Amino acid sequence: MLTPSEMERYDRQIMIKEIGEEGQKKLKKSRVVIAGAGGLGSPVALYLTAAGIGMIRMIDHDQVALSNLNRQILHWEEDIGKRKVDSARAKLRNLNSAVEIEAISEIITERNISQLVEGFDVIVDAMDNLPTRYILNRCAIMKRIPFFHGAVNGFEGRVMTILPGETACLRCMHRGPAPEEKFPVIGVAPAVIGSIQATEVIKYLLGIGKLLTNRLLIYDGLQVTFNEFTVHRNPECDHCGCPLV
Amino acid sequence: MSFGITRSLGKEWDMAINIHVHTTHRQFTNGLQVVAVEGTTVGECLNQLVKQFPGMEKALFAKKDKLLNTIEIYVNHASAYPNELIKPVKDGDEIHLITMLAGG
Repeated sequence: MLTPSEMERYDRQIMIKEIGEEGQKKLKKSRVVIAGAGGLGSPVALYLTAAGIGMIRMIDHDQVALSNLNRQILHWEEDIGKRKVDSARAKLRNLNSAVEIEAISEIITERNISQLVEGFDVIVDAMDNLPTRYILNRCAIMKRIPFFHGAVNGFEGRVMTILPGETACLRCMHRGPAPEEKFPVIGVAPAVIGSIQATEVIKYLLGIGKLLTNRLLIYDGLQVTFNEFTVHRNPECDHCGCPLV
Repeated sequence: MSFGITRSLGKEWDMAINIHVHTTHRQFTNGLQVVAVEGTTVGECLNQLVKQFPGMEKALFAKKDKLLNTIEIYVNHASAYPNELIKPVKDGDEIHLITMLAGG
């Protein structure tokens, strides 16, 4: 049931025939984990909060630093030194107080991930490193929770949606771990990629449109091109291959 | 600045294999976005690329016949992983060299 205030707030998106009042109710019932409250996590959280997702759990162990502010638009100068999840929750609550925002300031590990995502409808990859992405990818597959991958570097970014047991996963296209290093990035890159990730989440929750499954979308902001590549499920994938799934 | 230059082998385009070079690697190809090569496998094509532009060897390979973990190869817009280097190609095919991204 939508309240009169919600009907007014979401009026413009309820007007979209693929959403309507029923779709808005689905969004209100949905529970989303966003892993990372940084460059990608900021636009993802802002747009999902604005869209009226019922409950969002944000996970990030870091504190806000001055060098984050060129891209992590949930955090402002006054937040430097605060926990990112607290800074994020404050902004998101001001944006839409009806959305339940849960802030978890923990490092994501193999040991705690299962509990962190238990009972959620989707997991959004807004991480800044590959090892944690692999932890999320593997857990999403084991628990059969759809996983929305995004990553950026410089002016470039990529997006792929993973439906466990059905579509290629992150490991199906990666040869192995890569060295962790400080990466260059300008805020408009995660803005584009995070917005596409949020779009994918909304489409999945509503069961509309065509998802980026088995399709890696690569955005080049310098050339302003979107390239799409087919990714096949790898039967020998050590995350989703037989006999794991 | 535009780097919209393609090096050809002096053949018709559909008689070669075009390798699309990632932005970060164009420093090794004199700014070229696309390099035309010949070969029957992805590995042969990459060897030709390296012959033309030796700087690409370190950009692509950890050691002989072993790609860096960060390199992804797509043939005609489809992932060639795993065993990319032995994947067959034919004239007119397109190879994209992409670097994995991990930032967020």
